[in-house]
Amino acid sequence: MLTSEKASGSVISEGRLSMESFETESARRGRQLADLYHRYNIDTEEVDDVQSLPIRFLVEVGKVGLAKYIFKEIIHYKGNTEVILSRPCTYGVFSGPVGGFSPRPHLCVGCLRCTIQHPEFVKVLPNPERLSLGDSYTTHGHIAAIDEEAKKGMVPVRGQGYRGRFGGPGFDGMLTDMSEIVRPSRDGIHGRELIGTSVDIGSKPMHLSFDEKGEIKGIKPKMFSIQVPFIFDLPPGNLGTEKLIRVIDSTSKGIDTLACVNSSDVERMAIDSANIIPVLSIDDAQKSSNFPNARLIQLDGWDSSAVDAARSVSDAMIGVRIKFEEGWQLRLDSAVNHGVEVIHLLADLHGRGEDGQFVIELFKEAHLRLIEQGRRDLVTLIGAGGIVGADHVPKSIISGLDAVALDLPVLFALQGRSDGSLVERAGVIGNLPNKMDEGWAEQRLTNLCGSWRNQLLEILGAMGIREVRRLRGEFGRSMIVEHLEDEAFEGIAGYVGGGN
Amino acid sequence: MTIVKPSELLIEKTTNLLHNGMNARAFGDFGAPEALGDARWTDELILSTWHMAETGKIPEKLNFKTGNSDGGFDRLKFQFLDESEWVEHSEKISTKLDLNRRGDEKNKISIDIPWYGGGMSYGSVSINVMMSRARNARRWNSFISTGEGGYPTELREVEENVITQVATGYFGVEEDTIQAAPIVEFKYAQGAKPGLGGHLLAVKAGEDVAKLRGSVPFVSLFSPFPFHSTYSVEDHSKHLDWIETINPKALLSVKVSTPHDVDMVAVGSFYAGAHIIHLDGGYGGTGAAPEIAKKNIAMPIELAIPKVHKFLVAEGVRDRVTLIASGGIRTADDMAKAIALGADGCVLGTTDLVGLGCTRCSNCEGGPSGRGCPWGLTTTDIELQEWVPQDWAVQRLDNLYSAMQWRMRDILRKLGLDDVTQLRGRTDLLQYIPKEASE
Ligand code: SF4
Ligand code: SF4
Repeated sequence: MLTSEKASGSVISEGRLSMESFETESARRGRQLADLYHRYNIDTEEVDDVQSLPIRFLVEVGKVGLAKYIFKEIIHYKGNTEVILSRPCTYGVFSGPVGGFSPRPHLCVGCLRCTIQHPEFVKVLPNPERLSLGDSYTTHGHIAAIDEEAKKGMVPVRGQGYRGRFGGPGFDGMLTDMSEIVRPSRDGIHGRELIGTSVDIGSKPMHLSFDEKGEIKGIKPKMFSIQVPFIFDLPPGNLGTEKLIRVIDSTSKGIDTLACVNSSDVERMAIDSANIIPVLSIDDAQKSSNFPNARLIQLDGWDSSAVDAARSVSDAMIGVRIKFEEGWQLRLDSAVNHGVEVIHLLADLHGRGEDGQFVIELFKEAHLRLIEQGRRDLVTLIGAGGIVGADHVPKSIISGLDAVALDLPVLFALQGRSDGSLVERAGVIGNLPNKMDEGWAEQRLTNLCGSWRNQLLEILGAMGIREVRRLRGEFGRSMIVEHLEDEAFEGIAGYVGGGN
Repeated sequence: MTIVKPSELLIEKTTNLLHNGMNARAFGDFGAPEALGDARWTDELILSTWHMAETGKIPEKLNFKTGNSDGGFDRLKFQFLDESEWVEHSEKISTKLDLNRRGDEKNKISIDIPWYGGGMSYGSVSINVMMSRARNARRWNSFISTGEGGYPTELREVEENVITQVATGYFGVEEDTIQAAPIVEFKYAQGAKPGLGGHLLAVKAGEDVAKLRGSVPFVSLFSPFPFHSTYSVEDHSKHLDWIETINPKALLSVKVSTPHDVDMVAVGSFYAGAHIIHLDGGYGGTGAAPEIAKKNIAMPIELAIPKVHKFLVAEGVRDRVTLIASGGIRTADDMAKAIALGADGCVLGTTDLVGLGCTRCSNCEGGPSGRGCPWGLTTTDIELQEWVPQDWAVQRLDNLYSAMQWRMRDILRKLGLDDVTQLRGRTDLLQYIPKEASE
């Protein structure tokens, strides 16, 4: 109580409170405390498109067929305009000045009423240009979802049920659990606001040792929190322009997360700050001293002497980026042995390690390895690769990560287009909109983060989990479709297991 | 633009165009629309449903059995006997299902087909759709559920075929609607949005809808999650006791989603007094749900049924409870497979809507027009709802159910069975189609 009073800055009145004034006084102090309280929220706001995705549907109307039809109707309905002018489309595709003679296909939502009503002269086709966006992993569906999320900042809601395949590879093969009655709060749907999405970055030692003076012995644990379990990774391929870096810098500050930026860019652009993670090559470890404001610096690869060199010149936490390439497990062990507090694990952009394993298995292996060694809380695991949908965030955390790092979603949130392969980070060729306005771009990225955070809240709320930190490694709150199939279809002729 | 009730002439014109157009597509006068269908409901599945709804017969040239989802029902088929062993197709093959298997003093209810209509609230669908489904349920001695939106007075004329749903917002739950109901359904969760409650958008909560729900017109209505009076299975039992006090004869149904522990939930519900345990799988339909929930939360129904069935068997209570499956069940073949996996019967929702013209376009929640379904199904828009005349819709559903019952009997006879209850849990009659075989 005293602490709260101090924190609230309230003045403690002299002497004892009388019974009469007690209620008024405690109500006043309660109000004062409540007013100080700030609940974390990401402020989203719908923004206009500057480089819209190709439209969903092409609408083709046979002009001769339409003309004949109208002529027939004029005769048949004897000029009754209510009937003659009625149109099949409630979305305005045929409501332009010349109606169906010049349809407005960008308004089409594919209800198909027009082509059912008038099969003789109306066709509605999926737009092949839209279907060709992305690649076999980051599909046009992911890109369209990111585009919508970044535009509106909302959770995408639609009618009718699920339209996709049963389970599927990668993240699609994992389902999340729900609880019929247990909730994060008793406030039902509104209880989601009470769910925490902050995560701790750094090491949480199992115990602290103190010297005779009461000071902590050895390396003092460094730890800080960010408000969402996702950070921005190094922009892949050719995307690391100054403009984009400025946008992820300001967005990460706005929502209180982190952004990885090449150290040379941090220096050149003079953006060293608490929200920036300068990423240095091993050879440049000594240059860590150039970033006095950074809370976390990453070295691109594991090398003990490089970590020592960085530590000798910087007070920041020194993290290490480790690719899922042969021997990654030993590199992880050595880095943790050496006291590295943050490991940033990297799969390719299809979420695969060098051996072809998917990140669900890879993240899980890293997490379990550290648990078996009894030191999981000594290190923060961040992971990247293949995270291109809102559901991939909780699924990665269930697989053992503390936080994920976003790469390609940034490109598509800013209405950029990719050209060619989206597998290797270095090979990504992306084109951001010409003359991209930085305020617009920051709002789009903020919207994406707001939408993904709200979708995370949906998943956590359904499970009845009150903070995302408790989701880490909770395999028991996920269901693997293949395992469920084994349980359900065991003994059925032809079923050989593993979803086959 | 002011929306007004359309004239009779306009209704006639539009409905003729829509109905003729559906027939033209379903009968092959024109090909399938290029943009129709998805992995779960392929273009052929939608067109075959239209065909059945128009003719009452299964189509010869369209796949009316499975979708293209690459798993679940779409990878299961029946191991039929040699033709010489088939039972003759006849009405003697029973498709009847008893819903009260507890042997208590409550209503003894049998339905003529092993399925009934799932909850679609007034507001999420028009009164025409709701009444058409209810009137069709009467023809088939089956049921529909009110969903969570109250009990429009029109439903009174078919109250013997209406299940009153009690959901977390208690919208429209009245003493008399509980007393009128042969079955009362407690909805704990919905497969398409498990653990998330419900949300009727303001645009759909017009005057009549708001009145039924005891609310103000054009205000968004949330059903919270979960029941705020339920902390445990014991509290759940209290719920059922409460209904029993108001209507001692009503059967009690408990609708739950499909989490990891769905088997435990089912057994708990049974011991709390449920006659029907209704599992709603993750791929089920909805008027509006977050996309992330539809795809990711809870398990598909194909995987939940055997889990629950086996657990109820192991608990020794399987024959005292009716297990109903829903959520992504599209066809007679799906229903037969669900029963072979361990359900007693099924609940249909989307299939009814597809029978009435739904193209699965996903704009039910309002879409950019804000008016809801352009086909007049999931909307209360005064113009659009007129595109679904009740008599036409009742006949469509009746035809569709005839075709599905025919197909259900066809499956049974080819397995040498003459009663649908003999199929329950017969996984030995199923075959899994391995991935390579279909690639
Ligand atoms: S498909 Fe629907 S939305 Fe598209 S043009 Fe036709 S009627 Fe309009
Ligand atoms: S809006 Fe589309 S998906 Fe929804 S009921 Fe109507 S036709 Fe079906």
